[in-house]
Amino acid sequence: MSLTLSNPLHATSRLQALLARWPTRRLSFALANTLAVTAALYLAFAFDLQRPYWAAFSVFIVAAPLSGMVRSKAIYRLAGTLVGGAGALLMVPPLVQSPPLLCIAMSAWVGFWVWLSLLDRSPRSYVPLLAGYTAAIVGLAVVDAPEAIFDTMVARLEEISLGITCAALAHTLFFPRDVRGELGRRTAQAIRDCAGCMAQTLAGEATPAQAAMASTRLAQAVGELYALHTHLAFDSWDAPRIAGSVRVLQDRLAGLLPALSNARGALEALRVHGALRAPLAARVNALVRWAQALADASGPADAPALPPALQGSATASPPRGGRGDAALIEQAATTHLLALAALFEDCRLLARAVREPDAALPARLARETRVATRVPLYADRGVALLAGVTATAGMLASCALWILGSWPEGGIAVQFVAIGCSLFANQDQPARVLLSALVGVLLALPVAALYQFAILPGLDGFAPLALALAPAMLALGYMQSVERLAGLALISGITFTGALALQETYQADFAVFVNVNLAQIAGLLLSLAIMRVLRTLDPAWNARRLARANWRALARMAERGCESARTRPVQMLDRAGQVSVRLQQAGGDAAASADVLRSLRVAANLVALEAADDARASRFARTRALLAARCRERARSTTTAHGAAFAATIDGDIAALGDGSRNEADAGALAALVSLRLDFAPLPALANGSVS
Amino acid sequence: MIGEIALHRVYVPALLLLGTLAFVLTLLLGIVLRRLRFYRLVWHPGLVDVALFVIVLWLLALATTHLGFTGSMQT
Repeated sequence: MSLTLSNPLHATSRLQALLARWPTRRLSFALANTLAVTAALYLAFAFDLQRPYWAAFSVFIVAAPLSGMVRSKAIYRLAGTLVGGAGALLMVPPLVQSPPLLCIAMSAWVGFWVWLSLLDRSPRSYVPLLAGYTAAIVGLAVVDAPEAIFDTMVARLEEISLGITCAALAHTLFFPRDVRGELGRRTAQAIRDCAGCMAQTLAGEATPAQAAMASTRLAQAVGELYALHTHLAFDSWDAPRIAGSVRVLQDRLAGLLPALSNARGALEALRVHGALRAPLAARVNALVRWAQALADASGPADAPALPPALQGSATASPPRGGRGDAALIEQAATTHLLALAALFEDCRLLARAVREPDAALPARLARETRVATRVPLYADRGVALLAGVTATAGMLASCALWILGSWPEGGIAVQFVAIGCSLFANQDQPARVLLSALVGVLLALPVAALYQFAILPGLDGFAPLALALAPAMLALGYMQSVERLAGLALISGITFTGALALQETYQADFAVFVNVNLAQIAGLLLSLAIMRVLRTLDPAWNARRLARANWRALARMAERGCESARTRPVQMLDRAGQVSVRLQQAGGDAAASADVLRSLRVAANLVALEAADDARASRFARTRALLAARCRERARSTTTAHGAAFAATIDGDIAALGDGSRNEADAGALAALVSLRLDFAPLPALANGSVS
Repeated sequence: MIGEIALHRVYVPALLLLGTLAFVLTLLLGIVLRRLRFYRLVWHPGLVDVALFVIVLWLLALATTHLGFTGSMQT
C-alpha cells in the first residue's frame, strides 16, 4: 500500500485497472435511479401529495437499462393507469353497497385484462396488464370510503406521472444508453451465432442437439429484436428507418433456419452415397469459409461481402449427368445453398444498416424496409384464456376470504392477488417466479422495519431522509441492473418503499405495519397457491401441445395457401421457438426437436411452392392436399401408409417441372419438392429408383 | 403557482395544461429536427430534448401572460 502511494504513476495504473473492472454501467444506472427516486419523493412532498411512496415505486417499476425502454414503459404505465382508474370509477360507486357484486365485477375485470394482455407479446401488453390491476388497487383501497374514489384515483395518477417523469428524465439525462446501440449489438451477435452454426452444420459437424440449440437461440434472438424494436419509437432520431431495417432483418433471420435445414437435408442425402461432386463441393466449401469469416468478424462493418462464387441462381447451372436422383438432389442442394447465401448477405447488409443508418442499402432492400410493417408474434390463445380465468378465480377466492372471514386487511390481500396473478401471468411456470417474489418481499421487509422504527424516527427534514434512504436505493438500483436479480430487486424495491409508506409526518404503528405486510404476503401466497393449482403446465406436455398446433397450422397453410407469405417465416420460427424452449426445459428430446425443425422446413417449402404456383393455385394442388393430410397425421402423431401415394404425386410434380431452369420460382419449387420428398418419403426408395 | 383553469367545473392547474401543450409541441419539433438530421450534430440528444421542452414551456408561459390569458385563468 505504501508502495503504491509513493509511486503516483503506479497508483494511476492501479486506479485504471480498478476502473476497468469496476461495473461502471451498473453503478451509473443505480445512481440515476437513486436520483430519480429522491427527486420523485422531494416533489411529491413539495406538492403535498397523498402518498409520495407511489411516486417512489413508480420509478422502480419503469426503470430499465435502456433509456428508450424507460420512456416507453413510462407511457404505457400512464395509459394503463388511466384505463384502470376509469374502470375503478365505473365499478366502485354503483356496486359498493353490495360487496359480492363488486368483487365479482372486479375479478372479471382483472381476468379480462390479463387475457387481453397475453394476446400481445410485445412490451405494449403492459398497458392492459396495468389497466387490470390498477382498478383493483384503486377500487379496493376505497371500499370503506367510496366518496374518496375520485381523489384517490387522481392522487394515484398524479403520483405515477410524477414518478415516471422523474425516472424518464433521470435515465434520459444521466448516462443514457440508447436502444439503437443495443439493437446493433444484439443483431451482430445473432448473426455471428448463426454464421458459426451454419459453418458447422454445412461442414457436417453439427450434432442434432446443436442444431436444436441453434433453432432455440435464433428464435429467441428474433423475439428479442421484436421486443427491442417496439421501444425504438421512443428512442432515437433515426427510429423509423431503423425500425424498417429491423423488421426486414427479423424476416431474413427467420428464413435462415429452414433454408439451412433444407440444405443440410439435401447434403446429407448426398453424402450417404459418397463424397459431394466438384461444383457443389466447391460451393459448400466457399459458403463454409464465408460463414466462418462472418462468425469471426468483430462487427457487421468489417464482415466480408458475399463471395462471387455464391451469387446468382441455380437456373444458371442446370444439372449435369442426366436426370438421376442424385442429380436432382444435387440441384436442390445448390438452390438451397444459394438461397441461404442470399439470405445471409441480406442479414449482413441489414445489420450494418442498423448500426450505421447512413450506410447505403441495395435498392430492393431499401424499398422493403420502407414498407415493412410489424408482424405480430404468435399468441397462445389457450394459455391466455387460462391465465385470465386463473386471475379471476384467484381474485374470487381471496375476496371470499376477505368478506366471509371479516378480515380487515383482506382488501390488501386481494390487491396483491390481482398484482401477483397479473404480473407473472406471461410466465410458463408463474408459481416459481412468484416464489422468488415472495423471497424479495421477505428480504425487503426487515430492512423497511429497520428504517421505519429505528432510523426514521430520528430524522427531520428532507435532506437527512434522502441521505438515509440513499444506501438502500443505490443497492436496489444496482441489483436491478443485474439481469438475474432484476425481478427480485423490483419486488424488493416496491415492498420497501410501500412498507415505509413515507408521508409528510412520521407516523409509524407497529401493529399496522405488521398487519398490512402480513396481508400482502398472504395475498402473494394465495396467488402462489392458485397459480400452482391452475397454471403449472408441464413443459413437455406444453411443447407437445404447441407442436401439434404448429402442424395443424401447417396443414391449413397447405390447404388454403399462405395468405401472407411475408408474415409466415417470423411467426413460424416464433412458434417453433416456443416449442423448442420448452423442450429444452423438459430436458431435451432429440426426436421432438428434429420434428420442430422439420415443421420449419415444410413451411419454407410450402412458401416456395406457393411462389411458383399459377394464378388458380392448381399446379401443385394434389401435392398440397396430400401434404396437408400428412401434417394432420403429424399433429395426431399417427402414421398411415399413404407414403407411397404421396411420393408418387411429388414425383409427378417434379417430372412436370422439367429441369426447373425456366425461372427462379420454378427452381425454388423444384428444390422444395425434392426436400419435401426427402422429409416425407423413405429415402432408399428415392435413392434406388429413378424418378423420371 | 400560476393559477387554475376550470374545465367543466374541474380545476386544472394552468401549468399542467401548458406543460402538456409544450410536450406535444416539443414532440412535433423533434420530428421536424429529426427530418433535418439535426440530431447528428448533437452530443446528448436527450439533454437537447429536455432543454427544448423547457424553452417551449417558457415561451408558452411568456406568451400566455403577455396575451393576458393567465389573468383570466387566475381564480
